[in-house]
Amino acid sequence: MKIFRNWKIAVILLVGPVLFAIPDTTLSKEVNQSWEILNPEGAIKIEPMEINPHPASLEGKTVLLRWNGKHNGDKFLDRVAELLAQKVKGIKIIKSWEVASETVDPITGSQERSMELMKKLAAFKPDLVIGSQAD
Amino acid sequence: MTIATTEFVGLAKATALSQGVADGCFVTVPHPMGMVPLADIREKAEKAFPEILKAAIDWKPVAKLPPKKPVYPAGRLELKGTVADVNRQLYALGFSLGLPVIPPTPESVAAMLKGTSRKPDELLGMVPPRMGALTVELVAIHAVMAGCKPEYMPVLIAAAEALLDPKANARGATTTTATTSTLVIVNGPIVDEIGIASRQGAAGKSHHANASIGYAIKLVAVMVGGSRPPSPDKSTLGGPGDFVCWMFGENQDALPKGWEPFHVDRGFKKSDSVVTVMGIYPPVDNIDHWSVTPEEHVNWWSHLVTPLLSIGGPAWITQMDQPHIVGLGPEHAQLLAGAGWNKDQFRKAFWEKARIPLSAWPKGSPNLDLLIKRFGPVTPETPIPITFKPEDFLIVIAGGSGKHSHFFAPFPGCFPVSRLVRK
Repeated sequence: MKIFRNWKIAVILLVGPVLFAIPDTTLSKEVNQSWEILNPEGAIKIEPMEINPHPASLEGKTVLLRWNGKHNGDKFLDRVAELLAQKVKGIKIIKSWEVASETVDPITGSQERSMELMKKLAAFKPDLVIGSQAD
Repeated sequence: MTIATTEFVGLAKATALSQGVADGCFVTVPHPMGMVPLADIREKAEKAFPEILKAAIDWKPVAKLPPKKPVYPAGRLELKGTVADVNRQLYALGFSLGLPVIPPTPESVAAMLKGTSRKPDELLGMVPPRMGALTVELVAIHAVMAGCKPEYMPVLIAAAEALLDPKANARGATTTTATTSTLVIVNGPIVDEIGIASRQGAAGKSHHANASIGYAIKLVAVMVGGSRPPSPDKSTLGGPGDFVCWMFGENQDALPKGWEPFHVDRGFKKSDSVVTVMGIYPPVDNIDHWSVTPEEHVNWWSHLVTPLLSIGGPAWITQMDQPHIVGLGPEHAQLLAGAGWNKDQFRKAFWEKARIPLSAWPKGSPNLDLLIKRFGPVTPETPIPITFKPEDFLIVIAGGSGKHSHFFAPFPGCFPVSRLVRK
């Protein structure tokens, strides 16, 4: 019995310091690790597009109101048209949905389609386009 | 000049920026515009009018586009802490979806790039709406983050290339108010080569390739594409499809005799490995345990599918010109084929049955006039089909045993796009 107890003590004396001496590498790495990480966002690549300057006055100018088909956008622009006609002398107002119903497309789906619609509206040669996005 | 509501002006500005307009002219009105009485709309217009008038003549651009940065190599981040800490930091930077990611170290990305012969600096295209430049290296970064294996890279690159095709309309599908996701169907030898699930529960959990590739695609969409809520991702609710794609291999082993695989229908060779993607609404599960004839089955399913009107379907008339994908369960496909039906017979029968009365459309729908023009003369009972032509139902054999098929309606403007897998 005594031998057995001594054997256990011997194991503790031998193994104990070894156990305590092993650095807890997993834990220490978990706590202190420095990481070099590749940025997952990527750079933006956009070609600039310039917008034509707005006219200095709307008098005698052509304003195209563009409705994309979303609910009430046309009603909003109808009221804007009434107010523009009241306030601005000689203004010409074109409503896209009346002159080019095919441009009433709330979800154009692609840039190609958007450009197609834009060209159709540009053919009216407006001095200013006011678009209502609604929702 | 763009007039947008308080809730949507952010999306309008982000869209303008992505088109190269750093500083557009915006007038903001209180949300909402839709579904409110006419008197309220007129009042909103009256209140906004002074600002509209002022902006019409006074507005001048001020802001400039951010300076251009090289698209390759990817920038480096120095972070400290445990994997969990790094995940928290990446989340704070907007570089995770809220689910865990594996930190993309230079070493792990280099290992991932070994899965493809494509050069890491190859530019695949710009991911809308942010117009982030997607290089092969960036695909590998997201593949690491999602836990992909290097051998998944060719499929991931093909899916990315397909989604960058304008016909895929990634912009619309990732900025809409609708609940959308991405359908990814893989065909050909690559399915078995890399272990893409194509049978029982293929689009669901416990399939490493499907899950990690589907997750990586969503990471790209959010981080490189920038489609985060509340803007420019305008999802009213969103859903699990924002985290991972609906992805599966076609179960080509279950194709009825004489039926060609999906990719062959789309013009590829049987031996080709092909990835097809499409922006979708949540699919509709067709549960049919009972039909014993194709006619019964089609009758039942067409009645199940027509409520699609409420989740998209032909809510916008442009969708009626778009392909819809019918994921036939193998058992339903066998029912049809066993009675001698081919795909065309199914398409035609389904197209003729799956209709909605014209009276279902709200009076305010801009599509109503267009539908009347297209299908007139009409009555409120005139049945309107889901698509203009039956050929727009594309058929794929989806999943394993069970009495379920799935109907994948496209988001407006989203067409299926297929790309060859190139190793």
